[in-house]
Amino acid sequence: MEAPPVTVMPVTGGTINMMEYLLQGSVLDQALESLLHRLRGLCDNMEPETFTDHELVYLLKGQQGNPFILRARRSLSHPTAPWHLRYLGQPEVGDKSRHALVRNCVDVAASHSLPEFLNEMGFRMDHEFVANGHIFRKGAMKIVVSKLSRILVPGNTENTERLSLSYLVELSVLAPAGQDTVSEDMRNFAEQLKPLVQLEKIDPSKQRH
Amino acid sequence: MGVTCVCGVPVLEGKSVQQTVDMLHKKLEQLGAVKQGSFCVDCETYHATGTVSGQPSKLLYVMHNSETPLSCLALFEGGPCLIADANFDVLMVKLKSHFQNAKGHKVECRGSRYRYCDFLIKVGTVTMSSSARGISVEVEYCPCVVPGDCWNLMKEFMQSFLGPSVPELPSAFATKPEGLFAPADCVDTMTQYLELFNKLRKLQIQGSNVR
Repeated sequence: MEAPPVTVMPVTGGTINMMEYLLQGSVLDQALESLLHRLRGLCDNMEPETFTDHELVYLLKGQQGNPFILRARRSLSHPTAPWHLRYLGQPEVGDKSRHALVRNCVDVAASHSLPEFLNEMGFRMDHEFVANGHIFRKGAMKIVVSKLSRILVPGNTENTERLSLSYLVELSVLAPAGQDTVSEDMRNFAEQLKPLVQLEKIDPSKQRH
Repeated sequence: MGVTCVCGVPVLEGKSVQQTVDMLHKKLEQLGAVKQGSFCVDCETYHATGTVSGQPSKLLYVMHNSETPLSCLALFEGGPCLIADANFDVLMVKLKSHFQNAKGHKVECRGSRYRYCDFLIKVGTVTMSSSARGISVEVEYCPCVVPGDCWNLMKEFMQSFLGPSVPELPSAFATKPEGLFAPADCVDTMTQYLELFNKLRKLQIQGSNVR
């Protein structure tokens, strides 16, 4: 029954701004097994981990500017685990020689009342999807190979339809701002996955809708 | 967490907030309670900026409790609540164009933590804009999670050091159906703190004299 330490937590100006470094690519279904085999060899030795997640993307339309986007994700294979809320900022522009996409990232674990709470805040769900696949780690790097499926009836995660005949491959690292060696390490790792998959820096703002 | 009751204690006639708090500490120590560190509960208020004009803007409260230092509780009064980790505060900073922090409304309650057998008692000074506005007392009966089963015991215990200022059954418990367990998280406790903070804030606005 010891008292936990009473600390004053600095919120503004003292927080560590976490950045997400990201490289993306894809492989056709037929090439999945070879990719998984190569990843098992290259990555940290651990039990192969599969996941099935349901992600909902929420938008908050403000008086001006772009809507604020929040991503709420929950595990369908571990239904009692907390929800994961994620904010991703605009990609950092500037250093063209930087090998990965860099953006500010805030991750919050939240209770199961999250969707109701977001609605009360004014957020509206824009779209949702189910992602399932495999996750690997190598040091601080996380490699996710996932198949995305469209949800046909809102809220019903049983009835889904695959979006494509390929798997999305993402290599990411979460690190405090200012660590420039991260993208070098990522690029070196991505080299080892060629020619199975080409991992590149894909700027979401350059996508045409 | 066991069943927890939070109540406000009026400042004694002719005494200051600090003197009343000291008297409560003395009574607890006479009972045999042991001081075990300190605690802090705070509450920040955010206004939603995007609401239609004419309608009162929704108030979002974000509260922290030193008993659960890695978590925070976000709630709309009378509405849904969310338990999240400490990064929620960082997210609120990112949302500052949609939710403005009413900095003048920050409420803090700090004080000492006492342990008496199965009871945990926290006596705190409630401050708003660095002026003391009132006193809070939180009593937790750790072994029990069913309010109906232990309310009489808690009331009797509180009488032994609070005297006539013993509260009625908190509304957070009264609205639950018979025999329902207090949840394992802090939601009920924090809603009681919020009720107390709002009550104390309104008292000051009405010009009541609390030194």
